[in-house]
Amino acid sequence: MNKLLLGFTFGVFFSFNSFSTTVNQSLYIVADSLLTVDSTKIPYVTFNETPTYNQSNPIINLMQGDTLDLWIYNTDSLTHDFVIKGISSVISVPPNDSAFLQTIFTVKGSYIYHDPSDFPKNTYLGLAGMIVVKNHPFSCFYWNIKEHNSDWNNQLFNGNTVNWNQYDPKYFTINSVSNPNINGDTLARITGQVGDTLFLYITNTGLSIHSIHFHGYHATIKYSSRNASHLNREKDTFPIYSMETIVLKITPDKEGEYPIHDHNLVAITGNNIYPNGMFTTILITP
Amino acid sequence: MKKIILLFGMITIVFVSMAQQLTTTFIFSKMDITPQHTLWDGNSTMLMGYTSLMNAPIDIPGPILRYTEGDSVELKLRNMSQGASHTIHLHGLDVDQWNDGVPHLSWEVGHNETKSYFFKAPHPGTYLYHCHVTSALHVQSGMYGLLIIDAQNPNETWDGGYSFHKDYAWMMSEVDTIWHTDSIINHPHDTTTIMRELPNYNPQYFFVNGRSEHQLTDTNVAAITAKANETILLRLANIGYYGNKFHFPMHLNARIISSDGRPLPSIEVSDTLEVLPGERYQVLLQSAIEIMDSISVDYFNLNTQDIENAQIVPINISGFISSVDELNKDSYIYPNPTNGKLNFVNVKGKINIYDSFGKLIFETTLNTNEENVDVSHFSTGVYFIKTTNKNFKFFKL
Repeated sequence: MNKLLLGFTFGVFFSFNSFSTTVNQSLYIVADSLLTVDSTKIPYVTFNETPTYNQSNPIINLMQGDTLDLWIYNTDSLTHDFVIKGISSVISVPPNDSAFLQTIFTVKGSYIYHDPSDFPKNTYLGLAGMIVVKNHPFSCFYWNIKEHNSDWNNQLFNGNTVNWNQYDPKYFTINSVSNPNINGDTLARITGQVGDTLFLYITNTGLSIHSIHFHGYHATIKYSSRNASHLNREKDTFPIYSMETIVLKITPDKEGEYPIHDHNLVAITGNNIYPNGMFTTILITP
Repeated sequence: MKKIILLFGMITIVFVSMAQQLTTTFIFSKMDITPQHTLWDGNSTMLMGYTSLMNAPIDIPGPILRYTEGDSVELKLRNMSQGASHTIHLHGLDVDQWNDGVPHLSWEVGHNETKSYFFKAPHPGTYLYHCHVTSALHVQSGMYGLLIIDAQNPNETWDGGYSFHKDYAWMMSEVDTIWHTDSIINHPHDTTTIMRELPNYNPQYFFVNGRSEHQLTDTNVAAITAKANETILLRLANIGYYGNKFHFPMHLNARIISSDGRPLPSIEVSDTLEVLPGERYQVLLQSAIEIMDSISVDYFNLNTQDIENAQIVPINISGFISSVDELNKDSYIYPNPTNGKLNFVNVKGKINIYDSFGKLIFETTLNTNEENVDVSHFSTGVYFIKTTNKNFKFFKL
C-alpha cells in the first residue's frame, strides 16, 4: 500500500511538474536593524516580501523549469543593485524606484540573490537571500547562514570604511536567528521520520568559511555551486565557502535528536558566549 | 531432522556469542595541575585531555582508539579531571543518541564517575572523538583524539578497496595559550549551566599530532618513512578551528580516496587538499623513486581566509620494496574470532603471540604461504601477533 501511495505521489508530482508555472514575487529593500541573540540591535537592511521590514530575507521556492517574475522595490535612500548570482545580469534600482527581472530556472539547485554593489558591503549588511529550484516532492529545509560584527555594521551605516581583510565576526545566524531560536524556525529545523528523504538547502551569504557537522547521520551532496566534482560525496562534515550554495540529501536510518553544528568557532559562540551560535538539532521520530 | 535443528541451534549460538563479544577500551579524562605539554619554543602549556593509562601524562592528541570493522565496542570513560564533567562524542560514527556524547541530549560523566559508551564499529575509515561538554573550550583544551576503524583485512582501505603497506595518521589542531590558563581551563563546573563566556581565539601554536616546527623533524610523531613503490595510506583529520591546506610533493602521486569514513564516488588526483575543521580525508601516497622531501600544511583563518602559519613534515622514501615485502602486503589471518586453529596466509618467518597484558604466550616460525597454529588451549580474550613486518589482533572464544 505504501509503494502504491508513493507511486501515486510521484505520478501526481511529475504530472504537475510537467507544467512549468510563472511565479510572481516582490522584494522590497528596507533598512532597519538585526536583533541579535543577546538583544543587541545592529543596523541591517534586507529584501522583504512586503514594505514591512523583516530581518530574514525571503526564501523563493521554484520548481525546475519555472519562470520567476520578480519586482524589486527600493525604499532605501541609496541606490542598490540586484543580481541572481550566476544566473542574471546586474540591474540597478535607484531610491524610491523599482525594477523588473524575469528569469527561467532550468537547473535545480540553490542560488543566491543579493546586492553586489560595493561588494561585499551591501551583501554583508544583509541584502542576500536564497532561491531554491527543485524537482522532487520531499521535505525541504532552508539555511541562509551568515555572520555579523556589530561594530562593522555601525561603521558601514555611518559611511565609514572597514578593513575587510581583518574580518572578525561576533554573531552567527541561520535565517537571521541564532541558537536557541533556530530550532523554533520550521523552515530551518530539520524534522522527519525514519526512512524519509529530506533535503537541506544551504546558502552562505556571510564572508567566512563554515564547516557544518551532522551528528547521527551522513548526508549526500546533491549540488555544490563551488565544487561540481563533490556531487554524491557522502559525508558528515560539510565545508561551505562565502557565497557558495550546497544541497544535501539526508535519509535518516534511526530515530533520535542529534545536533548539527558548525566547527567554525564564531558559529559556536555569540559575542563570546557559548553556545549562542548555531547549535541546532535534527529531530527524527520512528 | 533433530540433528539438523541441533546443528542450526549450535551455529546460531556461536554466531550470537561472536556478535556479543565486546572489545572494551578504558580511557581516562584528566586535567593538568601545572603546564606540562612542551611547545616547540620551550614554553609549556596546561591541558585537559584523555589518556589510556591512569597515571600517563596528558598528550595531544589523545590516544588513538583503533578497532576492526564490525567490532562491538564498550568504551569506558573514567573522569579524573577534578572538576568539569566530560563526555566522548564519536564524531562521524553516527551512533545512536544515547551514545553520542552530547550532554544535554544524553548524559555526562562527572568527576570520579565511570560510564560506558557502546557502539558497533561501522565503516572502515578515519574518525575523531572529542568531549562535547562546553565543546568549544574542552576541545581547545586538548580533549580530542583519532578513532580508526580498520577493514577486516587490515591492509585494505575497505572491503574491495585499495591495498596499502603502511598507514600514518595526522591530527591537526592549534593552541591559544590564553585558553589554557587556569582561570579559563579550570572553569566552574555547574552542570545546570551550559553558557560560558570564552576569550577571543588567536592561536600561537599550530600542530601536527600535537607538535610543531623542529619537533616535527626531531621526533617521529608524523614523519613518513617508506620504500619506493610502497603504498602509504595517510589519514588526515582536523580538530582545530583553522582550515588546513596540504601540499603534497609531485613525486608522491597523491590520490584522495575517501572522506569522513566513506569512499569518494571517484578518486581525486591532486597535489593539494583542503581539510576543514571536523573533516577527515584518506590519501594514498606512492613514490616510484627514492626522495627526501616534505609535506607542508597551511593553517588559514576561516574568517579572513589568511594563511597564518605553515608546518612541514619530512618524508624519506629510501630503498625499494622487495619481493618478500610485496608478498606480505596481502597477508592475513582467519578465522577471527576463533576457538581452534588460526590460519596464516602469506605470513612467513617468526611470529610472536602476546596476551592483552603484553606477555609472550607463544612463538613459532612459519615457512609456507599458508599455515595454521592451534590456539584452542589459549584463554578467552584478545591476543596480539607480531610478525616480521606486520601485526595482527585476534580474539580467542
